Amino acid sequence: MNLTVNVEQNKARAFVKLTGEIDVYTAPNLKEKLLPLTKIQNQVIEVDFSGVSYMDSTGLGVFVSALKSTKENSSSMRLVHLDERIYRVFRITGLIEIMDVHRAIKGGEE
Amino acid sequence: MTPQSFVTVYKEWDIVGARQIAREMAKELGFNVVDQARIATAVSELARNIYLYAKEGQIHYEVVETMNKKGLCVRAVDTGPGIKDISLVMQDGYSTSGGLGAGLPGVKRLMDEFDIQTKVGEGTTITTTKWVRL
Amino acid sequence: MDKVLNKNLEEYKELLKNFINTQDERSLYKVERMSKSFIRNSVLPEEIVNLHIQAMDELYPDIANSFHHSMNFLLEAMISYGLAHQEFQLLREQQIALKSEISIAARMQETLLGTEKPNIDGLDIGVVSVPAHQMNGDYYHFLKGNDGMLGLAIADVIGKGIPAALCMSMIKYSIDSYPEESMRTNVILESLNRVVERNVESNMFITMIYAQYFPDESILRYSFAGHEPAYYFNAMKNTFEEVNTKGLVLGVLPNATYSQKELELEKDDMVIFLTDGVTECRDDGRFIKIQEVLNLIEQYKHLPAQDIVDRVFKYFEKLQDFTLRDDFTMIILKKEV
Repeated sequence: MNLTVNVEQNKARAFVKLTGEIDVYTAPNLKEKLLPLTKIQNQVIEVDFSGVSYMDSTGLGVFVSALKSTKENSSSMRLVHLDERIYRVFRITGLIEIMDVHRAIKGGEE
Repeated sequence: MTPQSFVTVYKEWDIVGARQIAREMAKELGFNVVDQARIATAVSELARNIYLYAKEGQIHYEVVETMNKKGLCVRAVDTGPGIKDISLVMQDGYSTSGGLGAGLPGVKRLMDEFDIQTKVGEGTTITTTKWVRL
Repeated sequence: MDKVLNKNLEEYKELLKNFINTQDERSLYKVERMSKSFIRNSVLPEEIVNLHIQAMDELYPDIANSFHHSMNFLLEAMISYGLAHQEFQLLREQQIALKSEISIAARMQETLLGTEKPNIDGLDIGVVSVPAHQMNGDYYHFLKGNDGMLGLAIADVIGKGIPAALCMSMIKYSIDSYPEESMRTNVILESLNRVVERNVESNMFITMIYAQYFPDESILRYSFAGHEPAYYFNAMKNTFEEVNTKGLVLGVLPNATYSQKELELEKDDMVIFLTDGVTECRDDGRFIKIQEVLNLIEQYKHLPAQDIVDRVFKYFEKLQDFTLRDDFTMIILKKEV
């Protein structure tokens, strides 16, 4: 299974649309595209998970390092439209307490 | 044909000329058909490297003889960008080969002796020899 | 190589002649055997084409020029295959060397991280921990305190293989250096978190449970750091309840804090600890629901704890066609009396 990472940059905002599965094979590609965005001062990044069907712990690792990088570079990151299963991973690991994570809700976002 | 000559590689079709001279000299020296084809392929690879990465260079050919053996020495000389990490390009499976077995490790396999001198920004000289199997 | 070829030229020529005259299967079988011996002796494809050319030249000296040229053309076309084959051989040798290094590392990991199930008064313990690859990214460690207390650490390092294994050793030696009996489970996690945060790469983190069982009081105290919930089986009510505490995975924030909860166990009660390799099991793309795991455990609840975990593992191994996608660890503590 593949992952496509589509980045649209619009001044200080970047929209990252993910489609596919995030696992040990696709995570390096995601990291390569996501991390440089977090290094831009004051960049606001929105990652859209609506096309993501699976994410393993390696994928979570990418978002943890992206989070650390946003703190060092005063950029910010918001994850939206996570399905229940992926949202659960952020909840169990305690990451929702320190990250801006929103699950997908039928008829709109939480 | 003199025992020592060279061709300039600038266009892709120059690679064909470089191969041809190598094959003719190899044949004349008494290399068997398989070795002729190997030498031609090695020269092709060297000429192609010049064409792709250095834009321009020469392939020099020289008949070498010692007391008990003779062979063909091919030298590829360019003034291109040079090679930063020789051990990397000499590694099997490195990107330029992409599993095709070609690249410089391929040249080294096709020939008997192989030497490379390179300096970043100044160019590369690859000297390689194959001996006639007696 | 030349000797092999000369010896084979005669044989090849005979076979070829036979085959041209009779088209018999016997010659084809013999050339198959020969071809295997070529591979064993690293004879390259262009040499075989050349062998064919020589054989044909000797058998049919007046062979058409066009055919002769075509064979030389074929020989030329084989040169790169020969090179690719040699490269492949070399890479294969390198792979074998790497594999053996990894298996040595895996054995070292077993020795370094080895832990034995201790005997704890009134407690039956079952453990299964199976790596998906050679190196296990799941880790568990038992220790027994002077007063008969059980300490249990379960961890899952994200990322698999060697980096995960190295990280495990760091955790283990940190735990070993603590005066464990006098430390609360949440304090142990806070301290480990600082060690991990300082020493791992930014994309690595560890989920962990630290639990202590005190047989005199029949009380289990525990703290979770971003780990999958455990399950408490209440034997009297025949129900399962989720057991966990809120807490961030280890290695993300330097000063994360953790909390501790406790649970009193009665006869036949069980606590089931697992790693996400259990819940991330996939059967044909379908995720295994935790309820399926709990149903199985309920079904086997009368068995000793080790038999329960073994049967659950066998069930999921079979479901995944015996190829684990993730490391699988499950530990059951069952109160005996």
